Amino acid sequence: MRVLAILPEFIPLEDVKNTVSQILPGTEVRTDASFERDDADVLIVTTFTPVDRSLVQRLPNLKFVQVASTGYDNVDVEYLKEKGIILSNIPVANKQSVAEHVIAMVLAFLKDLFTMDQILRSGHWPVLTGSRDLEGKTFGIVGMGMIGKQLAIRLLSFNPNIVYYDVKRLSREEEEKLGVTFMEFDELLKISDIISLHLPLNENTRKMFKEREFSLMKDGAIFINTSRAEIVDENALINAIKRKGLRAGIDVYPKEPPDFTSELFKLENTIFSPHIAGVTIESQQRFLTETIANVLRYIQGLEPLYRVL
Amino acid sequence: MKGNEVFRKSIEKLGLFPVFGNPGSTEVGLLRGIEKYILTLHDSISVGMADGLTQYSGIPRMVNLHDLPGLANSMAFIYTAKINRSPIIITAGQQDTRHMVYDPLLYWDLTSVVADSVKFKYEIKNPDDIPIALKKAKMQALTPPMGPVFISIPENFMDYDVNYYEFKDHIVPSSLVDIDSIEQIAERIMNAKNPAIVFGFEIDIYDAFKEAEQFASALGCPVYGEPLSSRAPFISEDPHYAGDLLPGSTLINMKLLQHDLILFVGADITLYPYLPSPILPGKELIFVGLNINPKIGDFYFMNPKAFLSEILRKINKKCNFKREKDLSLAGKIARERASMGLNFVLYNVKRRFPEHIIVDESISASTTLRYIFGYSRRRYFTARSGQLGWATPAALGISMESNNVLAVEGDGSFMYTVQALWTAKRYNLPAKFIVLRNDAYSILRSYAKSYYPEMEDFPGFLFHLDIEKIASSFGIESETATGDLKELDWLVEGNIAKVLVIDIDRSVQKLFL
Repeated sequence: MRVLAILPEFIPLEDVKNTVSQILPGTEVRTDASFERDDADVLIVTTFTPVDRSLVQRLPNLKFVQVASTGYDNVDVEYLKEKGIILSNIPVANKQSVAEHVIAMVLAFLKDLFTMDQILRSGHWPVLTGSRDLEGKTFGIVGMGMIGKQLAIRLLSFNPNIVYYDVKRLSREEEEKLGVTFMEFDELLKISDIISLHLPLNENTRKMFKEREFSLMKDGAIFINTSRAEIVDENALINAIKRKGLRAGIDVYPKEPPDFTSELFKLENTIFSPHIAGVTIESQQRFLTETIANVLRYIQGLEPLYRVL
Repeated sequence: MKGNEVFRKSIEKLGLFPVFGNPGSTEVGLLRGIEKYILTLHDSISVGMADGLTQYSGIPRMVNLHDLPGLANSMAFIYTAKINRSPIIITAGQQDTRHMVYDPLLYWDLTSVVADSVKFKYEIKNPDDIPIALKKAKMQALTPPMGPVFISIPENFMDYDVNYYEFKDHIVPSSLVDIDSIEQIAERIMNAKNPAIVFGFEIDIYDAFKEAEQFASALGCPVYGEPLSSRAPFISEDPHYAGDLLPGSTLINMKLLQHDLILFVGADITLYPYLPSPILPGKELIFVGLNINPKIGDFYFMNPKAFLSEILRKINKKCNFKREKDLSLAGKIARERASMGLNFVLYNVKRRFPEHIIVDESISASTTLRYIFGYSRRRYFTARSGQLGWATPAALGISMESNNVLAVEGDGSFMYTVQALWTAKRYNLPAKFIVLRNDAYSILRSYAKSYYPEMEDFPGFLFHLDIEKIASSFGIESETATGDLKELDWLVEGNIAKVLVIDIDRSVQKLFL
């Protein structure tokens, strides 16, 4: 079975080739898709390689596409479906990283780190501080999947009140184990000091946060989105930041790189990161391990895990 | 002299007492005059006890099984003795030769049943051959690579007049080395860019720890433990110890990626589950030992202790490896306290049992157990065969020579040979047992998690067992651990068998790639 891996140019290609030669000899590793035809049965890609109609048509034997990331926006899912090609992602490798990123953003707001940093850099020594504790705050997690759970596990030692909303409520045992309390969606929005989104993008969640939802939130609440930009109406978010003093930590954008002329980037009370909440050195290693494991699974004739198609 | 007297005299001469067994009618005549006899309530337990004691003491022990049923009941244990290279001498009563042609009750060709699992098999044809056959069996068992042997003894021979053949109990020497080969190996190591060492179970069998540490120190390269080693492959506190290899080709390759030459001493490559990567392609692989099982690389048949002692003078420093201190364990222990996670539980067990011999059948917890307890001389034993039910009898066997034996088992494992507790009570054997209860065959749930996720909660993997009551019914004291594990203090006290059940975290860990 022939395996082709198309990886981004910035990876250390020789190291990867050396590793692959030990794990799956015969696998071709390249950094471009500029070939006329390849007889690969299995294609490994990251989100940097568009798996579009053009590429798939040049891979006439293709049976399985493994995307080495959680997201697979770069894949023409409908076309793979039409061709009967299996598609898997790796949804388990970055949940810890995202959870840590959320906490980092929240603490940066609560401890007022950026303001204090700027004050000191300007040669001043502030006497008063707006620094706050996470302990005792109400932390609302919207979406209690794998990332939401990892976040709850990590939050526990900070002693906040952890509430959550999910279309599927956890079992009593799970809630007790995680130390979380279920809330209806509107109630969670009303009582939370901090809200973090961990939702998949689908027809039910698209624009789930509009003017109405922001209007229910507390003034000055912290709002973190590391899941999908399309879940939030950006104009409504901008209004909430301006009118309610909402503080927003944003990792995801409708278009990436985003439109930097957007009013969003001119607002204070915001922290931005370039869609890297789940991207750490350690998570990349986990992605690599899980990708290898899943391709080996497929080659052995087993059902690959994490099937999207 | 009657056959049974010659049998008794021969095994006494060979130092094979006590006899472990579970008798049947075909053994009654043979057992006349046998005073040192350990009764087990299942045939297989006698093999497990003999195996444990043999491995621990280095002295072969004898088992007497009951014809075909006893032998067949014990096959998994005989297979384990083969894999663990344990030189036990297995005997079984055979039907009376005078009516074998009629296929009497219990009759079968016993040597064919064990053919692939023992080094040597023989059915005594002539009653005068009893001492010769037994001596030959012991010699064969001890000749490297060691392993179990089998003698079938027709029951009628016990009542025949037999000539006793005087003999000496000769010791098999095994300090074999080849100087030319050592020169070659040393040269290859010195010419390598980045060598690594893998030590295995023969380091413990041949007590080569001092030589292994000196060699590792002289070379300075990382030392790995072979996958699923049945005994301590190295002193894990040594700074050159880099951890154990895992039993999968891909995992082994990833761990040894940076090395161009790998020297395996007294080690083997055990694999499970199958992974499609070829094993260590393009690398120079050298195997040295007395366990003849060459699969890949170049194999040199030499005693590991003698080899390491000799090669030491022919090598120089190639690397400066030193294991980093693990600072993560303290945090794991603290975090897992509430959930009774393995790190918390096993760390506390280690605190109360720091010097005990560990007999491990914790299966899904074994990697953590090995890590927390570490390895040292004659302190770690497990069945590399993959069978369940070995640890309880093996621990009891070892406890015949040591008061410091702790078996750590899963609840599923413990049930396979739980009636061995009766033997513990009967003979006042002081082994201690910790049963890690998670109400499941957790290793299967983990396997399912990696390969067949829909099977993770398969009802056929789940059960609940009242281990405490079962132990009590055999007259063995038992307790259930509470959150602070204070019952470990109770467990460690006294020289009687005790069982402590610890209800551990039931969440399923992903143990496979």
